[in-house]
Amino acid sequence: MAKEWSNLIQNLKREKLMSLSNITVMTITFLLLGIFINVIVFSQTALKYLEQQAQITVFFKLDLPEENIQSIRANIAKDSRVSNVSYISKEDAINIFKELNKDQPVLLESITPGILPASLEVSAKNISDLKAMSAEYSKIDGVGEVRFFEDVISRFKLWSTVVYLVGFLFVVAFFVISYSVVIAALRTTINSKGMELEIMKLVGASDSYVKTPLIYQGVFFGVISATISALIILIMDILLYSFGIFKQGVTLGFLPGIMINLIVFAAILVVILIASGFLLGYFGSNSAIKKYLKY
Amino acid sequence: MAQISFINVIKEYEAGFKVLDDVSFDIDQGEFVFIVGPSGAGKSTIVRLLTKEEQPNSGDILFNGESILNVDNTTVPELRRKIGVVFQDFKLLDSKNVFENVAIALEVAEASEEEIKSIVPNVLSMVNLTDKMFKYPKQLSGGEKQRVSIARALAHEPDVLIADEPTGMIDPDSADDVVAILEKINSLGTTIVMATHDQAIVNKLKKRVIRIEEGKLVSDKVGGKYRG
Repeated sequence: MAKEWSNLIQNLKREKLMSLSNITVMTITFLLLGIFINVIVFSQTALKYLEQQAQITVFFKLDLPEENIQSIRANIAKDSRVSNVSYISKEDAINIFKELNKDQPVLLESITPGILPASLEVSAKNISDLKAMSAEYSKIDGVGEVRFFEDVISRFKLWSTVVYLVGFLFVVAFFVISYSVVIAALRTTINSKGMELEIMKLVGASDSYVKTPLIYQGVFFGVISATISALIILIMDILLYSFGIFKQGVTLGFLPGIMINLIVFAAILVVILIASGFLLGYFGSNSAIKKYLKY
Repeated sequence: MAQISFINVIKEYEAGFKVLDDVSFDIDQGEFVFIVGPSGAGKSTIVRLLTKEEQPNSGDILFNGESILNVDNTTVPELRRKIGVVFQDFKLLDSKNVFENVAIALEVAEASEEEIKSIVPNVLSMVNLTDKMFKYPKQLSGGEKQRVSIARALAHEPDVLIADEPTGMIDPDSADDVVAILEKINSLGTTIVMATHDQAIVNKLKKRVIRIEEGKLVSDKVGGKYRG
């Protein structure tokens, strides 16, 4: 092990420029991969937030007593599909109406207290439940009307599915691209040693003798560049968090309903990037060296 | 038992184009053999078949009585340490000095530093390059480069030393030096197989001459002469 490390350090010193360019190319690749994963997760989180803002408005009949309204409110709040319920009393409704139409005094004069119904604004955890919830709530005794913006909701549903799927596919595709870039970078280093490897084989070097130092080099390049890019991503995420962005956490498309603290997510991403660096370095150098191991 | 046997060897790189066509010969331990013929006759193919860089299409090649066709990839390094090879283009690494270029043959066999420090100066003294031990290939003449290549091939104390056109890229005086060194190595018991089309050297040494033309063995004479 000590011999391999001293060989590695010797090689890096001998090939300073080549090593530097390899680490730069691989760092940029991992950085783009990390930023891309961040962008996908942030856009999914933003969409999730917007989803949760999507509401059903339940209007009560004008003559429904307050205690009945509160009982219905309590029942709806217990619904596992509901994320939030807020109550707008008749007085609140009037105040909101007045505020919205303050520059139309003629209209305001025609409004009398009690003309606007009390209502509940209900947010769902999942927008796909809104239609069923709306149908159920409209059947509750004392409910006059239930409204929700079906077009907007169905468009949201479509976009969130698109973002989840496309995001997932893009991340997979970017992994494949990163693998190709890493292999190309390692192949450049290995090809530059073609003559040395050929001579080694002709004078009786075993496969492992030829392979081991290059695998060490590949893993070293992979881990160093992934660590540099992971640290940059971590700093970026810490800055976002300190500015109060995504303070409530981020959500992952494949883990619906779970919010993860941004710093915890960044730490997971750091581990994923470094592990990817190790694996891409290992498998990339293994694959790049294959042609020199033929007898 | 012959040290090297080619038995009805056929080698085709393209279907229907035989580089070696039913070639058979034996070489005994301690012999000095020239393999001669014009360019493209198949001399280098014989060298590559012996070092298992190539596989014949049919026939068999025996080394010390055992077929090298059955040698698997994990045992090829062992075979190559028993057969030293000297190349026409030297195959030296410009980034390494003379000592390091020779040491590479021992490093790949995972020899200890002490062994390397004792063997390398010995083989360099055999090829009269002790004073150039720390020079780089760019600082050497063609003949000196070829002597480094011979020293590297000798580092494992091989049973056979194969030289593929070793004088092809050097001046006549240096070529004489290289051949003199090969004779000296041969006198110590190592078999020498030298592929060449250098008539002057072949005719001067009066050793066994195997002549290959268009892939066929056309003559095999001890003390033979060669006219290209």
